[in-house]
Amino acid sequence: MNARVLLLFVLCALGASPLRAQRPSPGPPQTRSILVKGGTVHVGDGRTFDEGAVGFRGGRIDYVGYAYGVKAAYDTVIDIAGKHVYPGFILPDATLGLHEIDLVGATADEEEIGELEPEVRAIAAYNADSKVIATVRANGVLLAQVVPRGNILSGTSAIVRFDAWDPDDAAVRTGDGVHLDWPGAYAGSRTADDGDDPVRKARVKQLERIRRFFQRAKAYAAGPKDQEVDLRLDAMRGLFNGTRTLFVHADRVREIQESVLFAREMGVVRTVIVGGYDAWRVADLLREKKVDVVLPRLHSLPLRADDDVDLPYRLPALLKERGVRFCLGMAGDMERPVSRNLGFVAGTASAYGLTREEALRAITLDAAAVLGIDADYGSLEPGKSATLFVSAGDALDMSGNRVEQAYIDGRRLTLDDHQKQLYRQYEQRYRGR
Amino acid sequence: MTRTDVRRLLPGLMLAAAFAAPARAQENVPVNGPHDRTEVATAFIHAVVHVSPERTLRDATVVVRGGRIVDVGARADVPKGAIVTDLHGLHIWPGLIEPFSDLGIPPLGRRGDEPPDGAHYWDRAIAAATDAAALYRPDEARAAKLRAEGFTTAVVQRMDGIARGTGCAVELAGRNARRDMLAPRASANFAFRKGTSPDEYPGSLMGSIALLRQALYDARWYAAEGHKAQSDVDLQALNDQLSLPLVFEADDREDVLRVARIGREFGLSFIVKGGGDEYARLGDILATGQPLIIPLALPAAYDVEDPFDALEVPLSDLKHWELAGSNAARIADGKGVFAFTTQGLKEADDMWEALRRMVRCGLDSATAIAALTTVPAKLFRLDDRIGRLEPGMRADLVISSAHLLDPKNIIHETWVAGERFVHKPYDGLDPRGTFDLNLRSSVLRLVVKGTADEPDAVVRRLAGDTASVKAAVTVNGPVVSLWFDGSRLGYGGPVRLNGTIHDRGGIWDGQGQLPGDEWIPWSAVKQRGNGGKERGTNGRPVLDSLWAAPLGEVWYPLNGYGKPMLTDSETVIFRHATVWTNGPEGILRDADVCLHRGRILAVGKGLDKAVLFPRSRGPVTEIDATGKHLTCGIIDEHAHIGIARGVNEGTQAVTSEVRIGDVIDPDDIDLYRALAGGVTAVQQLHGSANPIGGQSALIKLRWGRSAEAMRIAGAQGFIKFALGENVKRSHWGDGRRFPRTRMGVEQVFADAFLRAKDYAAAWKRYDERKPKDKAAAVPPRRDLELDALAEVLAGTRSITCHSYVQSEILMLIHLADSLGFKVNTFTHVLEGYKVARQLRAHGATASTFSDWWAYKYEVNDATPYNAAILTEQGVNTCINSDDPEMGRRLNQEAAKGMKYGGMRAEDAWKMVTLNPAKALHLDGRMGSVEAGKDADVVLWSADPLSIAARVELAFVDGVRCYDAQQDVKQHAVVQAERARIVAKMLAAKKAGAATRKVVAKERGHWTCETIGERP
Repeated sequence: MNARVLLLFVLCALGASPLRAQRPSPGPPQTRSILVKGGTVHVGDGRTFDEGAVGFRGGRIDYVGYAYGVKAAYDTVIDIAGKHVYPGFILPDATLGLHEIDLVGATADEEEIGELEPEVRAIAAYNADSKVIATVRANGVLLAQVVPRGNILSGTSAIVRFDAWDPDDAAVRTGDGVHLDWPGAYAGSRTADDGDDPVRKARVKQLERIRRFFQRAKAYAAGPKDQEVDLRLDAMRGLFNGTRTLFVHADRVREIQESVLFAREMGVVRTVIVGGYDAWRVADLLREKKVDVVLPRLHSLPLRADDDVDLPYRLPALLKERGVRFCLGMAGDMERPVSRNLGFVAGTASAYGLTREEALRAITLDAAAVLGIDADYGSLEPGKSATLFVSAGDALDMSGNRVEQAYIDGRRLTLDDHQKQLYRQYEQRYRGR
Repeated sequence: MTRTDVRRLLPGLMLAAAFAAPARAQENVPVNGPHDRTEVATAFIHAVVHVSPERTLRDATVVVRGGRIVDVGARADVPKGAIVTDLHGLHIWPGLIEPFSDLGIPPLGRRGDEPPDGAHYWDRAIAAATDAAALYRPDEARAAKLRAEGFTTAVVQRMDGIARGTGCAVELAGRNARRDMLAPRASANFAFRKGTSPDEYPGSLMGSIALLRQALYDARWYAAEGHKAQSDVDLQALNDQLSLPLVFEADDREDVLRVARIGREFGLSFIVKGGGDEYARLGDILATGQPLIIPLALPAAYDVEDPFDALEVPLSDLKHWELAGSNAARIADGKGVFAFTTQGLKEADDMWEALRRMVRCGLDSATAIAALTTVPAKLFRLDDRIGRLEPGMRADLVISSAHLLDPKNIIHETWVAGERFVHKPYDGLDPRGTFDLNLRSSVLRLVVKGTADEPDAVVRRLAGDTASVKAAVTVNGPVVSLWFDGSRLGYGGPVRLNGTIHDRGGIWDGQGQLPGDEWIPWSAVKQRGNGGKERGTNGRPVLDSLWAAPLGEVWYPLNGYGKPMLTDSETVIFRHATVWTNGPEGILRDADVCLHRGRILAVGKGLDKAVLFPRSRGPVTEIDATGKHLTCGIIDEHAHIGIARGVNEGTQAVTSEVRIGDVIDPDDIDLYRALAGGVTAVQQLHGSANPIGGQSALIKLRWGRSAEAMRIAGAQGFIKFALGENVKRSHWGDGRRFPRTRMGVEQVFADAFLRAKDYAAAWKRYDERKPKDKAAAVPPRRDLELDALAEVLAGTRSITCHSYVQSEILMLIHLADSLGFKVNTFTHVLEGYKVARQLRAHGATASTFSDWWAYKYEVNDATPYNAAILTEQGVNTCINSDDPEMGRRLNQEAAKGMKYGGMRAEDAWKMVTLNPAKALHLDGRMGSVEAGKDADVVLWSADPLSIAARVELAFVDGVRCYDAQQDVKQHAVVQAERARIVAKMLAAKKAGAATRKVVAKERGHWTCETIGERP
């Protein structure tokens, strides 16, 4: 036995092999029925059951309620007394799996060249083995919408589950939405005279190009079956029959007004505003046009210097008061690694005007509804997918969020990741001396 | 004249020359043709003569001859042979002076990378040898525009670089550079911008300051010693020019104070060209005693008709728009000395509207005139030649119809060095008015409107129908032409008239031709004048009343979170709080804490006022903190908030000479946002673009105070070092700067510290000389870069080192051990857990992120368990932000220590309070709630480590700097203030004021890696 083999042997014995996969194996399909009981059940729609129970078999939930009401027998009964069970958190507007390390260009697959590229598809590049994803789901985020970033029409998103062998296995829905970055309304050069400001002029042209493109797409969608395939226009087809949602990334009032009315005029069936920092200021319009909002990461600085210092934290409460449906996003700087804090962003919303359960709803049931997957996901209700997790404490609080078990479609996840492995290695190293 | 004639005349000529007085300047230039030998005097009589801003003579005479004023006075003698001009009560003013211009100085343009010609300073931003007098070429187009507003002199410089060389004063006579040169060395000029210098260094405001300081030290060294070994025209020039008036261009109010600090360091007094916002830090600026040059340009209003558009204009801009016009008046009230510059005006003639607005806002008109005449003359030591109308001074004067600030004033002529420039002839004929036009027995009415230069006219019948027809009037000197279509007036076709103008425009007469070739005599007799309408007058009454109305107050700072008055420290007792002491007592329930005179006076249960203050009758605020948590303020060990124009110098591998303390931006809204997150002190760090970065500033968030007042007095010096991908420029740059690998990084440190050792030794030898030897000895060259490193070696300056991977951390520890210095703090240190024992052995603090990773290759092995492992291993561990957003949630970030690694709550809390206080050597004063410590405390609505925690109050030195309830009230105040100013803007726009479109300020934020002067 040479030295290298000996070393390997020793490390394996310590249970901290450097060869161990950084992404644990996905769970097998659920074969045995499971009941978690005794803890607090957070349904996701605002209801809770103290000393409740959730039962699921074949990947589907078949019981939600108080523990004493369970009638059926389960192969496995897990006592979670004092703990909490939640629907898996759902992250909209994410780039996980499209770019692994920010400053390593070769790992970037999030942004295509060109400005009218709705045809590029997130699922085509989605890396189900991302080791960043392993750290995100470890905090309870189990589903996400993966979105191509870019300029103007950036591409077509997909909804994925965070435990999968490959993109096919990961895909909950491919092609759920087309993403449009609305040109900023107040962009302008600070030096040029108003009259010949190149930035302003460019915006006018950009808006005209967008309009022209949508007009063509609409005509194409209504065109004869045997027309030649146009990849770009084909990607837009679903917008006009409601099979795809138009996600418009816009923050300011003018941008939201312009884009919502534009989409309506173009015959887009369903529009969602992503960002929507000012959405509360135009709530009437959004309600009237049935436009949902994916709010920006609440852990952000106010957009404007004079805005209330806590305005970003209060955005959910402001929309709630005004009756606009919303969910919470994490897009922004370092969006992939910090996505694991989705629960704490919701927690912050609960410190600034929402109840804890309303905040939870914004990252579970309402997130599913905004993404159009609420028939299967987003809440703990009989008949829905068993996509849930158990946390030792309040999953919306840093000190409580300790995810002990998690299931996606009934498949039990191995909640290990690269960072926990390193932790164990070095604990052992220091204990060993 | 024949040769004989000349000879006959000669004796007489010689005699005349001998008695000619004043003596004519000798001419050394060959003249093409006979010399012009006469200097005819010009006498202006019956004028209102403004001798100086304070002294005006009515019905007086001014006599000029040979480019000088010969006589001024009510009874001045008009010399024989003078050209006499009767001004009929027009005004004569001293010519105006533009003190800050680059008129006639060709710009440098882009330069290549090749070394410059000549023995110049190593950095081309130090261009002290630039000599404007050698570059000046009259620029007639620009000069004419200035002359049209009454300017006769400009002090010009090459506005390029940090040391810009000497400026010269030129008369705007448009002769040639030699003759127009009033003073070839009128100023020496400086700025904080490197201009077109192709050198990478400096790339930040702090770098510019450091470079200038070093150059000034180098100049001293050059004079004493350096010149023996090398020649440097820039250092020589610097030494030669520091006795001139020194002009420093500042961009804004903070720059004005930065200039003053440089002045104090070198015993220099600068004239500072400011940004026009001095009023917002007026007390501090006046205290510097620096004369100012302030812009006549005032900010334009915004288009704010749409309420959502208006949202994008921050209150700071709205308030500045309103208050900028009062800047001059406030400086004058504070006895500040200032001159005006037209620099920045779109059109020079906008200056009058701006000046009138300033006068409406309280500026005394004599002071306004002085700021254009006597003050700049004195500042540039030209007051013996220009600025007043007195005998012996230059014949630089302005003839106007009224007071210069009168809205109806017309500037008729400018005389420069006795040369006449006519803008609008005062004896010119204004054709405007209402005339009776006598045309072959019938009388028509002719009404001439428009401008004097381009009149519009109509002709109609005197009575009866009101049909009028357009007429074309052309005035050419005394000749007038007029034609109109007479068909509807009974003439059957076009009527064309030609005539001359008499009686100062009162009567026109001549001959005309009717349709059908009939010639007739005609005349027009003026019935009414034009009434003298001035330009763009419709909105004047509105604008005048807008500016005459009381303005809003100046807020400190001037933004949505400022206040008109800053409060002092309070005496406060918090009752029944859960107190996180961070001391041996741990967490106290139901306890009281008393703040008094900026310190924590007492901590304990049931504090008794009578015991605490047996004699004092000062007010004591008692705050019921039942159910709430009281902690010391959070200390952010790693932040980049409140920094102006560049967080990285980074253009060289070693830039220990730059200081964040030079560029604190006390008004940055992110400072307030951090306060609202419970932060009371931060280390403002240089970025991580180079191995040895700049010196930190340690500040408390004393919101509203000046940059200097925010600094923590007595705090130890700190400096930023950095390792890894950033310093080897993995993500930017051309790959040519050493180092490009972690191996090279090590050698940069080794080299720098070896140099620093030599440097320290040289100073030690010098300092240890006996006093009498010392006087004779030449001190070593002061090197700001090595000064800072010598302090590190001496243990008086501490290192905060940006680091990620274990190899580089160990490398620096070993290097430090071998060279005898300590690395105080490793910041980020995401692989610190791998080398925890070495960190502890070295005594270093680890200041890390809670859960950031995957943003670059070197953070692959980052883990959120880092802090827990390091703490467990006995390393002083902090959680920092490096980010203005996370910086206001550091309580949440600390709480993650409990999630990842199961830290105790108190230990987690110390990671953002006591531990950074220790790391910054401030734990004697901060970092815990214990009697005697600074009253930097925060009241939380709940357990600060819980997601429910909100900051209710934050005190800094006992001053209430954040109060959530007041903040809500402030919101209403801000809305009201915005609404008030927006209404004013709309009124101003309606009245014709210039406006601009709203551009959203997407404000960037500094991070470690931001390069350049804008985020």
